[in-house]
Amino acid sequence: MTAPPRGGAPRSLGASLLDAVLAETLDPAYAQAAEARATGRTPARQRWRGRALVALTMVIAGLLVSVTYDTAAAGAEGREQVREALISDIDRESSASDDLEGQLEALSDEVTSTRDDLLAHSTVGQRALDELARAEEGSAAVPVTGPGLLVTLANADPKADEDPVGGATEEDPRGRVRDGDLQLVVNALWAAGAEAVSINGQRLGPLTAIRFAGEAVLVDFRPVTNPYEISAIGDPDTLAGTFLGSPEVNALAVISDTYGLRFDYSRKDELTLPAATTPELRIAEPEAPAGGAPATDPTPGG
Amino acid sequence: MIPILGLAAGVLLGLLFDPTVPLWLQPYLPIAVVAALDAVFGGFRARLDGIFDAKVFVISFVSNVVVAGLIVFLGDQLGVGAQLSTAVVVVLGIRIFGNAAAIRRHVFRA
Repeated sequence: MTAPPRGGAPRSLGASLLDAVLAETLDPAYAQAAEARATGRTPARQRWRGRALVALTMVIAGLLVSVTYDTAAAGAEGREQVREALISDIDRESSASDDLEGQLEALSDEVTSTRDDLLAHSTVGQRALDELARAEEGSAAVPVTGPGLLVTLANADPKADEDPVGGATEEDPRGRVRDGDLQLVVNALWAAGAEAVSINGQRLGPLTAIRFAGEAVLVDFRPVTNPYEISAIGDPDTLAGTFLGSPEVNALAVISDTYGLRFDYSRKDELTLPAATTPELRIAEPEAPAGGAPATDPTPGG
Repeated sequence: MIPILGLAAGVLLGLLFDPTVPLWLQPYLPIAVVAALDAVFGGFRARLDGIFDAKVFVISFVSNVVVAGLIVFLGDQLGVGAQLSTAVVVVLGIRIFGNAAAIRRHVFRA
């Protein structure tokens, strides 16, 4: 296929190997067999045997092709089935978990009301109850309502001149809200004196984590999606003033402006934040003989 | 004509009876198919060249499939199975293309 090099310079082994591969596409044995055949004739019986062998070989080749095709198709199908089974498993288990959580909530409501009834009878109990109410407020164990600030963070809109059909352009990762951005905003809100904070209706307790898992932001291990609405309860004017004055927030505003992220805030007269996930009982002490309050200090589960 | 009928019969048999292949053999199926294709194209070209020989065809078919499988098996044992598969596919692919080009020249005279 390629002309031999001029000048007779020694050729590298690699080049001759490639030449051999490219030039000798036909098994040389065929030519040798044809040469051998030219000298003497093969008997008719042997010719028929040869034909039968060739047919058998072709049957095997066909079998090989179809079996391989079947195997590959079955593999793809099996993967699809496994995927669907896993998805339905996930759905079932998360609905079961939701049920259990609802049950837990009902039961702990019952416990709370019974406890409140019992404690309300004595002055010591009353004091303990007040203390508990303060602790619960601090640990985001009760829903709250009040005026506050609503901060909205959203991913950059896809550019208008991008062809949606082409599909080749990937979304710029810098145009996405990251966990760090949410953490920054939330920390700035706490620093500005927010009494309670929630992201997309997920109340933040003392142990709530804001994390990134793959492409999704998790708040308290539950995914929240774009746009992110961060509600903070507190005096709207003080909150807004201190929040906007903090250098981190200004830096974030500049970054948002550069990459097209949406970053808005508005004062709200009434915001309602739900309770954080039902707190786990972690520490309990037996009641002191002197009549001390039972130290059932619930901490929100993490 | 008979070989083509044989090929069709093989494909039909495989699709109809859907034989199960043992799991340890499954990774070698695709490479075996490529090797078989190489032998089949070689045989077809030899036939058009007028030098076809049944014995050479059968032996080249069997040895192609077995050697390709062995190379990949060896590669798997040495941890370079994927690379050796690529090597086998490249070499056999070049031969298939070369033979297909020769067949094309025979059939279309171009």
